[in-house]
Amino acid sequence: MSDDRIDPLNLTAQLNHTAAGNPPSTLPESAISNAYPGLEFDIRTIWRRLLVGIELHEADNYVVDAQPEHQGLIGRRLISVGDHDVIGPVVGPTRPGAGSAPLTSAGNPDGVMMLEWSNSLADVLADHVGRTVPCLFTADAAPNPVGKPAQLPDPRFQVVELEVRPLFARSAATGERLAVIAEDVAGPGELTSGLCSPWQNDYRECACYYWAASRPDYVNVEDTGAGTTTGNHWFAKDREPREYVLDNRDDSRLVSYDDLFRDWQGELRFIVGGDDAPEHLEADPEGR
Amino acid sequence: MTTIRELRVLPPLAIGRLGAATEPMDNYTAETDPDQPLAPRRLRPAPTLRVDPATGAITGADTPERLRFTDGHGKVRPVAPFLEVWALTDDDVLRPLTVDLLEANDLTPDDVQWRVRVGNHKIQRRTYDDDDRIDADTEWFSDHTAHVLMGLCANFLDDKFLPLGHARYVKPTPEFPGIRLRFTPAGGHVYGSAYTDRPTDPDPNVVDFLYDATRGKWRGHADQPGDPRLTIPAQIYAGDDGPDGSWVSRGYLDDECDGLVHVKLEVLGRELSAFGRIGAGPPAYAPDSVPIRTVADELDQALFGPRATDRDGLEHARAVAEEVLRRATETVRLMNTEVMNGNTVDGRVDAASTMVRQDTADTGRLYEPIMAPSLVDAGAVLALHQHVLAALRSGTAPWFADVLRDHDEVGDLTAKGRRKMPALMRGADGRSLALTRRQVDLVRLAARQAIFRQAGDETRGPR
Repeated sequence: MSDDRIDPLNLTAQLNHTAAGNPPSTLPESAISNAYPGLEFDIRTIWRRLLVGIELHEADNYVVDAQPEHQGLIGRRLISVGDHDVIGPVVGPTRPGAGSAPLTSAGNPDGVMMLEWSNSLADVLADHVGRTVPCLFTADAAPNPVGKPAQLPDPRFQVVELEVRPLFARSAATGERLAVIAEDVAGPGELTSGLCSPWQNDYRECACYYWAASRPDYVNVEDTGAGTTTGNHWFAKDREPREYVLDNRDDSRLVSYDDLFRDWQGELRFIVGGDDAPEHLEADPEGR
Repeated sequence: MTTIRELRVLPPLAIGRLGAATEPMDNYTAETDPDQPLAPRRLRPAPTLRVDPATGAITGADTPERLRFTDGHGKVRPVAPFLEVWALTDDDVLRPLTVDLLEANDLTPDDVQWRVRVGNHKIQRRTYDDDDRIDADTEWFSDHTAHVLMGLCANFLDDKFLPLGHARYVKPTPEFPGIRLRFTPAGGHVYGSAYTDRPTDPDPNVVDFLYDATRGKWRGHADQPGDPRLTIPAQIYAGDDGPDGSWVSRGYLDDECDGLVHVKLEVLGRELSAFGRIGAGPPAYAPDSVPIRTVADELDQALFGPRATDRDGLEHARAVAEEVLRRATETVRLMNTEVMNGNTVDGRVDAASTMVRQDTADTGRLYEPIMAPSLVDAGAVLALHQHVLAALRSGTAPWFADVLRDHDEVGDLTAKGRRKMPALMRGADGRSLALTRRQVDLVRLAARQAIFRQAGDETRGPR
């Protein structure tokens, strides 16, 4: 086995433990978490049941389900937990030269957005596990975003006390926290439920490169000698000429949806040091 | 005698990666260069455990001469993680569970039992139909054969199942006496949906039809606009344009999954149990790069809170700051920053899906590039990251603390707000990416205290 001792209280060492024979790509550090929705996991899912008695949308402050005693909360929006808002303002300019102002619309009249759970509920998890905390909800169902009232009480809002559930399992022997996500936080299949079906579709559909360290965009990059660079689009079927083909789902120079469904393993190349891995430069024995 | 008090499965979250090659991916390390900290991590082959397909025992731990991520015949080598069982013993030590430790407790490897439960609930998440859940359960076993993870679903065609890989209790030997399980993920195939009340056209995109499109709703499903329960983003499934702007599912499914690996053992009349988690995702196509914000960062913040604490020494903060910068560099190295900035490229305005496009589409914000278009060539942005590192190391970067985006500033779409770091990337709430609050706090600690850094600082204890 790998290292022969670990401090039982060192959760970081346990979380990042490299089992003998495991490469780095098996570790949580290799999985992206700017999850929209994610590639390996939709890690937003672990927050859905943080408040005992209700189930939140993994990516919205919307109550999707509840135990019988809280059925009335289904369809409502959570605004804050304790002193911590789970929504924030959206501001910016709408015209050149204009100042910034709340960005409102018919579907978002208050100009607000939900803040991802991982950050907005971090204090709640740190300070309130196992205890109840006042949660501010809209008083009625709210399919669209709703802003926080200037002052409370406000008849359009209701405070409900809810218990904060631990995210991590506990040791039966010591009562201490373990480094494993608790069983009742996410059952089998739930950590991947929000991902694209099939995942190959997302590699073509998204046409965006917010995940370049996992799903590269710009590869085989070289200096042009004019102070700029050039290189290949990762999806380019041919690497010559070395030019970046702007993404276009209909451009036959790029890998298509059908290419990915049928043969993603043959079409996509591993990138090492920013370039195609050496094995992709070898003559293909099957003449692919 | 060293008595076993508790079991733990390590790592507690192990990631498998899909691939149809017969031989799993070899082991390797990814090492940074202290002299060139922002250079690509160096991948080096590492001792690789070879499991005999016939016996389930490890036959050796050789180090390959070179790394190959594919088999040379068009198939990707799956990443098949091992999960080790560790034991908390009565001397408060956490140590590997081995044949010797079992024997010391009057037990043998046959007394260890495993159970693996995984699921693929992607379809159910869209249709809300519990009969669309795909689940596999090995039930308890203690042999060393490969247990196929047969994904069963009420809405599958008769006698069909989704292969989700397999799990194997590796047979301990004198040379490799540890108690471990190996999860080998599936091949990464795409499956389809067929009708039973009418003919279904052949589809070269799928390797088999599994789902009964007559009984279930997945083929032909369309996310309904205005339904607040939809995935975010919505309509992320293989489909085709339908009436009234709808996106109609082709009924495709994949063989990704996640779930739990349980282990149990009866010690002195007490049943001890533990579990770890596994998942199967796509290959890491840039294996020498690390995403700027990772699942490990999420779990780290969930475990230790959003703020740096007295347990976090300054050196740890500096290491986190340098790692964040390294990861940012790795992303920039693989990203066309001119395109992602919203520049006009080759005469095309709005040339790709960028935060510029998303901000305008989602909020009505003015469409304009995030940074000055002349400043964002990839080479220039890489050089900028080098300068930031040099400033951090020399203690002249307290300003760096102020350019990081706070979690509650993601809706700040002013010109200044959008230029905060990390820039050009999308976060889990759909707006510009913010790091975890704990990452931000540690980076700020490093940036602000670096200016006071003195010779001999390395030995200073926690803050």
